[in-house]
Amino acid sequence: MKRRDFLKQSALASSLFFIPGFLKAFENSNPNNFGYKRLVMIQLAGGNDGLNTIVPFTNDDYYRSRPKIALQKNDLIEVSDSLGFHSSLLPLKKLYDQGNLTVINNVGYPNPDRSHFRATDIWQTASNSNQYWQTGWVGRYLDTYGSNAYNAIEIDDSLSLLMKGENINGIATQNPTNLFKLSEDPYFKNVLNHYNDEHLSEHNLGYLYKTMIDAKSSSKYIFEKNKIASNNADYPSNQFANQLKTTAKLINSGLETRVFFSSLGGFDTHANQLNSQKRLLDIYATSIEAFVNDLKKQGTFNDTLIVTFSEFGRRVKENAGNGTDHGAASNIFIIGNQLKKQGFYNELASLSDLDSNGDLKYTVDFRTIYASILQNWLAVNDEQILQQKFNSLDFI
Amino acid sequence: MKTKQLQHLFLRAGFGITPQLANDLSKKNRKKVVEFLFTTNSFLPLEIDLSDLSIYTQEYMKDRANSMEFQRKSNQKIRDYNKLWMERLANSELLLREKMTLFWANHFVCKNQNIFFVQQYNNTLRKNALGNFGDFVKEISKEPAMLNYLNSRQNRKKQPNENFARELMELFTLGVGNYSEKDVKESARAFTGYNYKFNGEFVITKYHHDDDLKTFFGETGNFSGDDIIDIILKQKKCARFVCEKIYRYFVNDQVNEKHLDELTNVFYKDYNIQKLMKFLFLKDWFYDEEHIGTKIKSPIELLVGMQKLVPFSFQITKDVQKIQRLLGQVLLDPPNVAGWKGGKNWIDSNTIILRLKLPSILLSNAEISIKEKGEFEDSFEKYHESNKNQKDFAKVTVDWDFFEESFKNTSFDEMKSLFLITAPNEGTETYLSHLIKSSKKEFCIQLMSIPEYQIC
Repeated sequence: MKRRDFLKQSALASSLFFIPGFLKAFENSNPNNFGYKRLVMIQLAGGNDGLNTIVPFTNDDYYRSRPKIALQKNDLIEVSDSLGFHSSLLPLKKLYDQGNLTVINNVGYPNPDRSHFRATDIWQTASNSNQYWQTGWVGRYLDTYGSNAYNAIEIDDSLSLLMKGENINGIATQNPTNLFKLSEDPYFKNVLNHYNDEHLSEHNLGYLYKTMIDAKSSSKYIFEKNKIASNNADYPSNQFANQLKTTAKLINSGLETRVFFSSLGGFDTHANQLNSQKRLLDIYATSIEAFVNDLKKQGTFNDTLIVTFSEFGRRVKENAGNGTDHGAASNIFIIGNQLKKQGFYNELASLSDLDSNGDLKYTVDFRTIYASILQNWLAVNDEQILQQKFNSLDFI
Repeated sequence: MKTKQLQHLFLRAGFGITPQLANDLSKKNRKKVVEFLFTTNSFLPLEIDLSDLSIYTQEYMKDRANSMEFQRKSNQKIRDYNKLWMERLANSELLLREKMTLFWANHFVCKNQNIFFVQQYNNTLRKNALGNFGDFVKEISKEPAMLNYLNSRQNRKKQPNENFARELMELFTLGVGNYSEKDVKESARAFTGYNYKFNGEFVITKYHHDDDLKTFFGETGNFSGDDIIDIILKQKKCARFVCEKIYRYFVNDQVNEKHLDELTNVFYKDYNIQKLMKFLFLKDWFYDEEHIGTKIKSPIELLVGMQKLVPFSFQITKDVQKIQRLLGQVLLDPPNVAGWKGGKNWIDSNTIILRLKLPSILLSNAEISIKEKGEFEDSFEKYHESNKNQKDFAKVTVDWDFFEESFKNTSFDEMKSLFLITAPNEGTETYLSHLIKSSKKEFCIQLMSIPEYQIC
């Protein structure tokens, strides 16, 4: 046989064999259920001090608990007769005024875990605090309603548990062009074309091949969509803003991606909290402002919901290092222009009735927020994805 | 000892094995080979020249400009130290101690910006890597790098800071669920007043130390930090927690409870790390098929393993960190106090592509030969044309002479089994067999560029 013929034949043969078993799982998924709305999840990693973010400036307990790090009324941006935004959050105050922001206070869950890693896993998997799950809630959304890895993208160098499903993982990338260029190597193409194994993710080697196949098909699609899109706003120059800039470009390219995820780290303020939190909230707020402007200008803000959370809030009482230790409940921000309840969703919990660790008691389970988003925004079956029934809230 | 078992042992206790060493040791039995691992493990500190930083005294640094200048120089030195560490890992004869040091660096996870403290900490890990675990934890609790990282310096009687006490139990000794919130609070009090002098020497500031009674794991007393650690060591769960981590790192991501019990019983007796490791490497079950070729190499294991077979060095210090960052593991710069998760977490769409591309980028001018038997396929030239600038990705000097010399008596088939601990996928094997074997160098790049090479 001539080599050219051999190649033709083997290419044909390999394309026949090359229907990895896991793809069959998608045949029954209904693309109509997939919708067109997008969700952008943002984690303030390290445990943001919610109490110094949305500040109860008329509360004596607040000032008593924090003689050195409490924020004074005249340093805050007043939004109600009892609550003020941290001075770095002026861009958020503007969104608040425009009706594009909902703040949900006292968000947490029963028996909170004060470990960053466990708490992050709990927030990302939506498990109870005594359950150890291996898939994230976005990953399970992909499993049930997605068809490709690129249906959920994390703008980062590595993939979080949030984006990992049983059968599909989301894609992590900081730079779609680099990802694509690397994946186009002819050697890899040939290795993958010859690869034949039904049991793709049953062992580590299968997992490597599966990830390679996912990466290859997704990176091509993302790259080709992305190169025709552009940004339409000035972003601050920092890594977090760059992540949002990439996110906006991907959204505006019309990519079939429903969930994006980014995080901003550094909120573990055990010492000298004031300066570092001020700097971080400034990075967060100015970047969000540019991001929202970009989406608004290109008409994609209508179909985008931005949710910002942190794995926990911090202890009410300050510590000796002018910082705060790990706490429990905190606030989360919902940004969009389809909000049913704008402004503050609920009252701040009492600062005199704390739990046994001296932390804020939660009044809203974070999973009720996920349930609302899944049901009312992404229009999917929340119970199936969260694996428990939660009442949904009326903010979206 | 069989070659496969030798490879397995050296991939886990080190970073792989050269043809020469495999040949030498294949005549010895398991006991002798393991003995060899433990006779070549003396402590050799890893140090860089810091004499040009001697002008930065406590007095001199009171000036803000000077202190900022120190920070800049210190950051540079930390990058140098990272590179030096990589070189040590690739070249050291002390492979088990160095592998253990890397393991502990992801157990007692810490990060600091002062090169003096970084170096001191790194050598504390190296010194204790095969010593007594109890002494190890006590030394770690007093290291300036750690006192800084987990805020022990801010832990004072009036207002305790729980950060260190919590991570001590959660991540270093017991694991989540094996202690209460009260234990965190009480033990934090025992570590109050921990501090260090400008030169890194540990001190307890009496004024800030809480001398009152503490109740911890049912015991009450005026406990010091060391007492707290001693009480923790009495919990068998501590031995089990550490052994589980050892098992996952050196044996398998999936834990066999029976084998873990065996390790725990050995370790709990006296917390002697060397005894534990020797016990493990002599065990029959360590060499079971189910453990061989089942782990995914960490980025450092991948990079160092490549260097063992084909020695290369980075011409520019920054390139070392750049590649580490893209692969997801920068030495001396862990993501957080829980360290790198490892296993499948090393792999995502980005890292898998880069990992497979890495051999050609570093060793072969960004090109993997795909010349097939019969004729040359020219349609791929265009691809490589557009990717030529990838050479600028990292500048390396490759010692191909060493490679040629060490593989001169090795056949292509033997090369394959030396490079890959796991049998390649059938299709991949078929593809490889279609390629021309014109040089060992080309074959080396091809073997290193398939998913199977990611496995150890």
